Amino acid sequence: MPLMLPTVIRNFFGGYATRLYPFKDVREPFVRARGHIEFDENKCILCGNCARRCPAAAIEINKEKNELVFNAAHCIICEVCAEACNKDAIRVEPKWRAPFYSKPVEVHHPKGKEKAS
Amino acid sequence: MAPRTVAPFGPQHPVLPEPIQLKITYEDEKVVDVVPAIGYGHRGIEKACELNEYPKNIYLCERICGICSCIHGISYCEVVERLWPIDVPPRAKYLRTIWSEMSRTHSHLLWLGLLADAFGFESMFMQFWRIREKVLDLLEMTTGQRVTQSISVVGGVRRDIDDEQKKKCIEVLREVRKESEALINVLANDYTVKARTVGKGVLTKEQAIALGCAGPHLRASGVKEDCRMQGLQAYGDLGFEPIVEKDGDCYARTLVRCRELLQAIDLQLEAFSKMPEGEIAVRPKGNPPANEAVYRAEQPRGEVFYYAKGNGTRNLERLRVRTPTYANIPSLLVMLPGCELPDVPVIVLSIDPCISCTER
Repeated sequence: MPLMLPTVIRNFFGGYATRLYPFKDVREPFVRARGHIEFDENKCILCGNCARRCPAAAIEINKEKNELVFNAAHCIICEVCAEACNKDAIRVEPKWRAPFYSKPVEVHHPKGKEKAS
Repeated sequence: MAPRTVAPFGPQHPVLPEPIQLKITYEDEKVVDVVPAIGYGHRGIEKACELNEYPKNIYLCERICGICSCIHGISYCEVVERLWPIDVPPRAKYLRTIWSEMSRTHSHLLWLGLLADAFGFESMFMQFWRIREKVLDLLEMTTGQRVTQSISVVGGVRRDIDDEQKKKCIEVLREVRKESEALINVLANDYTVKARTVGKGVLTKEQAIALGCAGPHLRASGVKEDCRMQGLQAYGDLGFEPIVEKDGDCYARTLVRCRELLQAIDLQLEAFSKMPEGEIAVRPKGNPPANEAVYRAEQPRGEVFYYAKGNGTRNLERLRVRTPTYANIPSLLVMLPGCELPDVPVIVLSIDPCISCTER
């Protein structure tokens, strides 16, 4: 106990080590943190680079339907898709995705090819 | 003679975060026999690695274990690089070393907290985990995520640490070292802690070698063996010396990890001061050639062994991983018989069991 006393005293007067959520907000994520990914439909040309390299198979490309289907619950936010994208159509945002009850599936209809032509 | 009773310790037990079962036979309060049973968390990762393309396996290998995920990812990349072989740029080697040691720092802080919790020192548990949070924040700041960092790629690393981050890292690591020293002073000298650890679960040097133990568990029994002594990555430049204790009991294992924690912080600080400028990755050409390679790395829990066999395609023909806890579990059969029943959690925890690593 005597050995622990300095730590006890320091903690007694030192204030909280944790954030008083929900009275105070949680800390902001770091600038380069990998929170979630977002697609820019205006830039995507459905080349499929992201889907081929995704280790979790979270992205499906359907060229006939002009669709990009993103299973957010499969995504491991490894940033490989963003690195593979030649058109900068995938952005990694630092903010975490909110918890969900049902698995979210995003369906995108890219317009990048129409814009290029 | 008192009647013998067999009781299951696990797979669900407050002291075990992961599922392993020990069938303990005891007389009165004395353990006489132990039979471990593993296989509750097998996921077939080695087979899955054969079915995946080789760059995708990095993320799979990282999920072998949550605590040493960074070193698993790095080890996989290192073994695949040896198939070509690819020479990784020096800065990438230093960055890999820094992240490996950062991962060791948070793993040892986690373990020290768990040990305190195992003998009922709740406040000490909180103190260690509070410090650990700072290290996890550093990992998030530099790599992007707290636990599965996904930082290594075949040929180097994915991110660099800029000067601003480096300054912040050094500042926080010094703080962590100072705070850890204060807590280690309590842990190493407190009467109650000593009463629960000194002379408990003794493993002699000869037994440790015969049973093929690894890591801090082996070094606590007086064997100078550490994979970082190979001088791979940047360890050769950092003047690394393994930490060895002689007694081989729970107290010695605690001391080894305490000293390794401080040493890991020193290694990071030294690596930051010596880190050269330059490229952080090279691009591998083509697929891994038909070749075989092995790689040994020192994880927080001991030696991890990676074997890879390429066949010229984008898939590996075989990937084999040997993890340290699998090597350390047999030592429980020597350490537990003869001990008192209340000492079982402390002795089991003293090998730092990581079951998700063991079962893959």
